Amino acid sequence: MRFELDEDRALLKASAREWFEKASPLAESRKVMEGPDGLDRGLYAQLGELGYLGLTLPESAGGSGFGAIGLCAVLHEAGRVAFPGPFLDLLLAARALHRVGGAEAERRLADLVAGRSLVVIARSEGVLGCVPSETAARFDRGRVIGTKTFVPFAAAADSLLVTTREGLVLVERPAKGFEATPLPVIDHAQRFAQIPLDLPGTLLADAERSGDALADVDRLAALASSAVALGLVERSLELSVAYLKERKAFGVPIGSFQALQHRAADMLLRVESTRSAVYRAAWAADHDPERALFLGASAKAWCGEAARFVCGETIQIFGGVGYTWEYDPHIYWKRAKTLEQFYGTTRDAIETALEAAGI
Amino acid sequence: MDLQFKPEHEAFRRELAEWLQTHLARPWIEELRDPANDPDRLFEIRRRWQAVLNEAGYLGMDWPREWGGRGATAIEKAIYTEETYRADAPPIPNVLGISLLGPALIHHGSEELRRRFIPKMLSGEEIWCQGFSEPDAGSDLAALRTRAEPDGEDFRITGQKVWTTFGLWADWIFVLARTDASDRYGGITFFLVPIHQKGVEVRGIKQISGESEFGEVFFDGAVARREHIVGKIGEGWRIAMTVLSYERGAMSLAYPAQYDGYLEDLVAGCRERGILGRPDVREKLGRLLVDNEVMRANGLRNLAGFASGEKPGPEASIEKLFWSEYAKRLADTALELLGPQAHLVVRSPHSRPGMDWAYEAQWCRAGTIYAGSSEIQRNILSRRVLKLPEAR
Ligand SMILES: Cc1cc2nc3c(=O)[nH]c(=O)nc-3n(C[C@H](O)[C@H](O)[C@H](O)COP(=O)(O)OP(=O)(O)OC[C@H]3O[C@@H](n4cnc5c(N)ncnc54)[C@H](O)[C@@H]3O)c2cc1C
Repeated sequence: MRFELDEDRALLKASAREWFEKASPLAESRKVMEGPDGLDRGLYAQLGELGYLGLTLPESAGGSGFGAIGLCAVLHEAGRVAFPGPFLDLLLAARALHRVGGAEAERRLADLVAGRSLVVIARSEGVLGCVPSETAARFDRGRVIGTKTFVPFAAAADSLLVTTREGLVLVERPAKGFEATPLPVIDHAQRFAQIPLDLPGTLLADAERSGDALADVDRLAALASSAVALGLVERSLELSVAYLKERKAFGVPIGSFQALQHRAADMLLRVESTRSAVYRAAWAADHDPERALFLGASAKAWCGEAARFVCGETIQIFGGVGYTWEYDPHIYWKRAKTLEQFYGTTRDAIETALEAAGI
Repeated sequence: MDLQFKPEHEAFRRELAEWLQTHLARPWIEELRDPANDPDRLFEIRRRWQAVLNEAGYLGMDWPREWGGRGATAIEKAIYTEETYRADAPPIPNVLGISLLGPALIHHGSEELRRRFIPKMLSGEEIWCQGFSEPDAGSDLAALRTRAEPDGEDFRITGQKVWTTFGLWADWIFVLARTDASDRYGGITFFLVPIHQKGVEVRGIKQISGESEFGEVFFDGAVARREHIVGKIGEGWRIAMTVLSYERGAMSLAYPAQYDGYLEDLVAGCRERGILGRPDVREKLGRLLVDNEVMRANGLRNLAGFASGEKPGPEASIEKLFWSEYAKRLADTALELLGPQAHLVVRSPHSRPGMDWAYEAQWCRAGTIYAGSSEIQRNILSRRVLKLPEAR
């Protein structure tokens, strides 16, 4: 038995750390986060060159072949720098395209993986922004008709994978762009939009096949977003510990106050447990398919709570500066909020885990 | 990464599970339910069970064969505890001897001490208790004042120990005693002391559950032989500390396995009461289910670490903190969801079959106090792992 990554994946993770820290240090990516698109297209092209956009695909489909463990190792690193943009969304869209299959999907997938094209899934509907159990959007005589909300990074997207009653439809960005109404959220690095659709599209698969593909995407989203959360909590704890040692009050480092020491210990428990849960679930996704759903959902449910606690308490430990835009804790905390809400909620994950356990 | 048990481990698990099925007369909960079983009889049942385990070579799992052990790996030991917990086997009465003193003898004891004490410790012929805590030395164990003074070839022990589990049934006690009043850590020595002698008196202390599993031990010039010192004079503190850390990995999988059973009982109870479909109930059960699974993930990771030869570090405090705090949440939730019936003590008419929540709800309160309280674990994590400055 061995918990450490094997040599290939350890190398993958180390080079991902190096790349993310250099390409997207938080001080720099703040500009990107505050810019109009919320992403740096140049960096996304590089993600393609590095092969990171194929992390959810098998080698036979042009993927990296590093499996779920490799995926989580890279996302773990992306989380540490709160990497801005639709990285996770692209990975999920890639998986959806791969799952539905067919010539059109494969062509689009090749572009996505190479970093030439941004494709995101458009799924939520209505002002409540939930993923509906019954989609209202229709595909009728070659056109998609309906309104999607909370479409991630829609303004920058080259095409959308739209869920309709008839199945998944690929919709190209019109020449004048999507008619997207921005929906700013608390996570200022996040971009969501509402898009009324009455556009030509290509039906990629019927409703059943599309449903299966999306169920697979949901499983993957639980695991993948948990891996990002691991990076967020790990880095938040590092920021906290450094500040606990450096900041003085009453003439001593604040880290010598037991109230804060115990808080930090509780944060450590959550960070380390998140690490165990995420990598175990990733391992199961690669090697223990029967338990993969349960463990992925468990990781997701755990991470929601853990990230609330660790990222939230980091703000508390920083005191007044923790409430400023200038300091970093809020960036991690906000990303944690996004992950918790938009890639399957904690509540959903709990229910999935219960059902998978036969309860 | 590789979180798969090897075929030989799976085989060991199957063999053990089968062995438990044929040799375990009835689960511990049923012994506890039996009105004929008073505390002394229950102790004898545990002692007999220990002898059966020992006959089959399941005790001292990871000790060298030379010393009566099985020479098994950390993984096999973890599987052993996991399966015995899962089967609800009676807890062995020499648990403190085997988990704490045994490793102390193997790592720090002389060959004579090992020969003299290990076989009867394993067979249960001699029951051991742990004399560390004192009325004014618990978390601050090094404040202990029980003293050992040389008397010819031997030592005389004077002082008081408290919270001594199984003190009333024990034949021997391993004692941390002061041999040098001026040296806080280096003045502590590890003695093995017979209980049945003039100068030792044991009294039971009634616990919140009404029983008296622990007690207090008074020493008034009790004799401890010089050759019954483990390690050297003044090494007691160091030995006690390393021994405490060696025990930790063994439970990596055992608690999650035990809580699997508890959760199953809780879910069944909710189903019976017709509340399993209620969203608030599902949320509570789901969180407990998920957290237990995360505990198991931590356990597997620890175990993988041990298997590849890592020594247990202060991170072991995460494990202790996690299971002991979890157990309280689990029992509190069970009492809440299962209603008045779960409050009935085990021998009350109408008490629930299965899990004894009424007892567990009380017992779980001890877990965050003994073996280093939750606060002490957090101190360890913040100082030794996160390296935060000394507390103010
Ligand atoms: C069921 C049970 C069985 C036991 N069996 C044995 C046994 O067999 N042998 C044996 O030797 N001992 C045994 N103990 C004793 C146990 O180890 C002690 O109770 C424990 O070490 C705590 O010490 P104390 O009771 O003196 O509490 P105290 O040390 O007085 O602690 C009181 C409270 O203060 C907190 N506290 C103390 N120091 C700090 C600090 N530095 N920072 C923050 N908070 C702090 C504690 O966490 C606790 O909440 C047993 C205890 C129980 C409950």
